[in-house]
Amino acid sequence: MSEFDAIVVGAGPAGSSSAIKLASSGLNVLLVERADPPGSKNVSGGILWGNELAQIIPDWEKNAPLERYVLSKGTGLLTEDSLISIDFRSKKFEKNKTGYSVLRAKFDQFLANKAKASGATLVTGVTVDRVAVKDKKIIGVEQDGDVITSDVVILAEGANPRVAIDSGLRKPIGDRDVAIGIKEVIRLPEATINERFNLRGSQGYAGEYVLGFLPGGVKAGGFLYTNKDTISIGAVVNSADLRANNSTYSYNIMEQFVTHPFIAPYIEGGKVEEYSAHLVCEGGIRSVPKLSGDGYMIAGDSASLSFSNGLVIQGMNYAITSGIAAAETAIAAKSRNNYSADSLKSYDEKLASKYVLEDMKTFKGIEGVTWSNLMHKAVPKMAENIFFDLFYETGQPKRHLYEILLESTAGSGMTKSQLILEAYRAARRM
Amino acid sequence: MQIEEKLSLLNYKTDKGYEHITVKPDICAVCPDHFCTFACPASCYTLIEGKLNFKYEDCVECGTCFFACSHGSVAWSNPKGGHGVKYKFG
Repeated sequence: MSEFDAIVVGAGPAGSSSAIKLASSGLNVLLVERADPPGSKNVSGGILWGNELAQIIPDWEKNAPLERYVLSKGTGLLTEDSLISIDFRSKKFEKNKTGYSVLRAKFDQFLANKAKASGATLVTGVTVDRVAVKDKKIIGVEQDGDVITSDVVILAEGANPRVAIDSGLRKPIGDRDVAIGIKEVIRLPEATINERFNLRGSQGYAGEYVLGFLPGGVKAGGFLYTNKDTISIGAVVNSADLRANNSTYSYNIMEQFVTHPFIAPYIEGGKVEEYSAHLVCEGGIRSVPKLSGDGYMIAGDSASLSFSNGLVIQGMNYAITSGIAAAETAIAAKSRNNYSADSLKSYDEKLASKYVLEDMKTFKGIEGVTWSNLMHKAVPKMAENIFFDLFYETGQPKRHLYEILLESTAGSGMTKSQLILEAYRAARRM
Repeated sequence: MQIEEKLSLLNYKTDKGYEHITVKPDICAVCPDHFCTFACPASCYTLIEGKLNFKYEDCVECGTCFFACSHGSVAWSNPKGGHGVKYKFG
């Protein structure tokens, strides 16, 4: 007889969602979180997309600590001298809200408290070392030599999944699985943020940028999200290229982004409140480990369930969806009183039938595009050449766009045939 | 803004009795790349007169150094008992 029906490791969006679903279905759940209070070790890229939370917290849009809803979605290419950007803003997003900026210390604490209110036992400041194994079956978790038993363990530890790795349930993280995320939270008056980003009330801006100005083959993306009276701004640095370069400090890339001539004005006069860093799952479907086995399931970032195509980064919605799917699987397993690998296999099937694995399979190889030389070096430079040529009045006869386009490829650092091949690959994968 | 200044904004509950990350000095002494010094976003790894210096107190527990070191020097565990970095915003 186990002490708990389920133990959930990690009180982030995946773990707390799972615990809420489990506890509100009457299961005896232990939710273990190493941070105290929950959320105080968590960092997000910033936007919670979708409406998954409605399944477990119907009134979440009213009561969760949300910062602003995304009215305006920006995508930009930065070169040393230029910013080429698209700002898509729509009244349609007012009616059909698609994303909210959140600050995780507050947001995750809200979710963990919901889990507690649903009946889960929440333990904070406790670090699980590994899963406990008996007769090759997972029977709970181990902490400082003590074993706490449960019929099933759900690992939702985030992007640096020590328990899963140290228990041999997934391979150690490598350069191709993660990028290095670095972020600052900068305080500015609410009215200043509204003015700078052309927003009103709780309208928000979410921008993703290609940092095309980085020398030495280093690649990084940037993000900028408006909160109520702060701005979340950060860089996501490609690990493999940083290693190949081996002379650029990750934190200097962040500094280069926030001091870029067309980014700095957004945050000018603001007070840096917090600096943080966190891994970002970027490996796509190739990084996803075995999702379940005898007595366990892996959810959220721990299972590398995230999506990025360069235009949008999504993780929290995948975490919530997978956490709920793991809970549903555990509830069904309890009714069958069968927690074997076969019984829990329906977790994998659930994720395959939802958008989580579907997206990751559809966009297989997308990370090869988002981190390509085409996207990070050639396209920003070409775009700059084209627009400069189009808009700069020389007093000379004007040229056809086609000629400008052809000429712009010369400054891209790639040959024409390379460009055509890479563009074809990108179009196929996006 | 310098990295040291950014780090000084952070709150930590430092575990004086337990280093959650350790390095093997003999491996670091002959390391050909010291990639950890470039990768770590909290500048916990620095070279002082060519010798690797590691301080766990500034660690933000991201996990970068664990995969950055390809020479098997870094042993990584989570801090215990609620110790380590404490974000107010996240």
